[in-house]
Amino acid sequence: MTLHLQNVGRCIGNQWIVRHLAFQIGNDECLALVGPSGCGKSTTLRLIAGLDPVSEGSIAIGGHDVTKLTPAERSIGMVFQSYALLPHLSVFENLELGLKIRNVQCKDRSIRIQRVLDLLQLSDRASHRPAQLSGGQRQRVALARALIRDPEVYLLDEPMSNLDAQLREGIRPELRRLVLEQQKPTIYVTHDQHEAMAMANKIAIINHGQILQLDTPINLYKNPNSLFVAQFLGRPQINCLKPSDNQIQAIRPEDLKFDDSGLPCRLLSREWLGNTQLLYLASSEGDLRMIMDPSFECPERLFVRWDPQKAFYFDRETGKRIP
Amino acid sequence: MKMNRSIIPLLIIWSLAPLVWQLYTSFCTDQALVMPFAEHAQRWTLAHYQSVLNSDPPFLNYLFNSLFAGVLSTLLTLILALPASYSLSKLNQRTATLIKALLIGCALFPYVLLFLALLEVARFLQLGNSLIALSIPYAALSQPLAVLLLTNAFADLPTELEDAARVEGLTLLQRFRWILLPLIAPAIASTSILVFLFSWNEYPIALTWISDSSKLTLPVAMARIAGSSIHSVPYGPYAAATVLGSIPLILLVMAFQKPIVSGLTSGAVKG
Ligand SMILES: Nc1ncnc2c1ncn2[C@@H]1O[C@H](COP(=O)(O)OP(=O)(O)O)[C@@H](O)[C@H]1O
Ligand SMILES: [Mg+2]
Repeated sequence: MTLHLQNVGRCIGNQWIVRHLAFQIGNDECLALVGPSGCGKSTTLRLIAGLDPVSEGSIAIGGHDVTKLTPAERSIGMVFQSYALLPHLSVFENLELGLKIRNVQCKDRSIRIQRVLDLLQLSDRASHRPAQLSGGQRQRVALARALIRDPEVYLLDEPMSNLDAQLREGIRPELRRLVLEQQKPTIYVTHDQHEAMAMANKIAIINHGQILQLDTPINLYKNPNSLFVAQFLGRPQINCLKPSDNQIQAIRPEDLKFDDSGLPCRLLSREWLGNTQLLYLASSEGDLRMIMDPSFECPERLFVRWDPQKAFYFDRETGKRIP
Repeated sequence: MKMNRSIIPLLIIWSLAPLVWQLYTSFCTDQALVMPFAEHAQRWTLAHYQSVLNSDPPFLNYLFNSLFAGVLSTLLTLILALPASYSLSKLNQRTATLIKALLIGCALFPYVLLFLALLEVARFLQLGNSLIALSIPYAALSQPLAVLLLTNAFADLPTELEDAARVEGLTLLQRFRWILLPLIAPAIASTSILVFLFSWNEYPIALTWISDSSKLTLPVAMARIAGSSIHSVPYGPYAAATVLGSIPLILLVMAFQKPIVSGLTSGAVKG
């Protein structure tokens, strides 16, 4: 099974919410969609699930064109940002509803529900209402509801954005294992680049409803095709120097080196990040961020230099990479 | 805060005093009612209740008629208003606002101005003297308010709930059955009560559409008690009838107290 999008777009009124979406996801691939909020990530998922109509292009699952099919006919498992659990039903009934509608035998239903509950360690919560569960448990129930129908495609819309940071890191490996085990095309939406790099083998960076670049995490980091991608991936953020000749030079904080000569800088402030320290420097080229060894005692005035090979150059107008 | 607390007893007296007076009147002998401070051989009596219950046709008959018309118009209203308000909640903002403005206009229109025209309609379609027919104008007149209340309830539901159900494969009717109706149950309850109350209290249409005395509704029947004698108003029987007529309402409101309150305040606070 593969999920294949060709030139998909959605237009409301005379405005394109997303446009020219084209990618292919194989059986065991997880694609992360990342971008700022309002860039069209959820809309993309809704188009694939069939919740919104496609204005142009086509969507195929396993070689079958599903562009015109209803959500029910597409075999999609979706986890919503708000989890969308039914508040008046217990966990068991929430999971049962979709099976009941599909006329699965009562005995069969119980077995399947029990299996998923065991898999997600929710067995002792079966009779609870969603309101009685913690955030992490609700999220697992939402995932269980997607898993139980054994769909062909998984769509996860910011599944962890409602959890606190600590819980998120705890759940991440578990979620990744579960998703990979399914061996189905998966799309994972997030606005968190860390999460995207941890979960997915490919990342698509979206802005203003268009995919700017789609590649493996390492390639995106090493080879951004635009200033937006370079700025979006990597924390602390990439340094952009003052534009010259309609060209912006950008250099990653870890590529800046302390030296006896070079660009003169003044220390603005510094933050300890545990195993490194982050220096904020003021220079004639603009403010710079620099990563240093934590034991380094930074003087008030210093010089930095960098290997020009490691810098990226972008067009000032279009933000496109200049080779 | 202090101000609020001192106002509560006043509010209770303000709203309950007429009811208590009515209750007192219904159990009071005529003489005691006229001269409350004089000595009477008999102050309390059940005679008013007896006279009301033993009238011909019996008072319970009217009670049943009103109940029948009320339940029927409530059901009819809901059957029409639920699909209408669901679609209204899905319409785009501008069209929906326009339609809502029109509905508010209809809800504020004094329906008494319509009753002559309605009478003509009833005559033309031969709908007189039928309680079933009576529920048609009741449902129609309740429609604007019901649609407005239910539309807000539908609009307050998170759209992702229904989207998730669509992905699960539920059809529109199944979504109504399993998701929408249970979740807006409080709003349905409060809407039903309002519609039922309207039909329970309605006078001009019931007066003109129904002439057969076995099919009268409560308000008309009670007005007949009040106007049964030219020389005096029979306060006692009238009060007894009022008390009897309120009992079903009180039971109804008590049964649905929780959903009504949560329905009337829904949307005020995001839960
Ligand atoms: N039904 C709609 N009508 C008009 N605009 C919409 C509609 N749905 C989404 N949008 C717009 O599309 C953009 C993308 O939304 P969305 O896909 O939810 O973004 P996100 O990437 O945060 O998930 C937003 O700017 C939103 O305002
Ligand atoms: Mg979103």
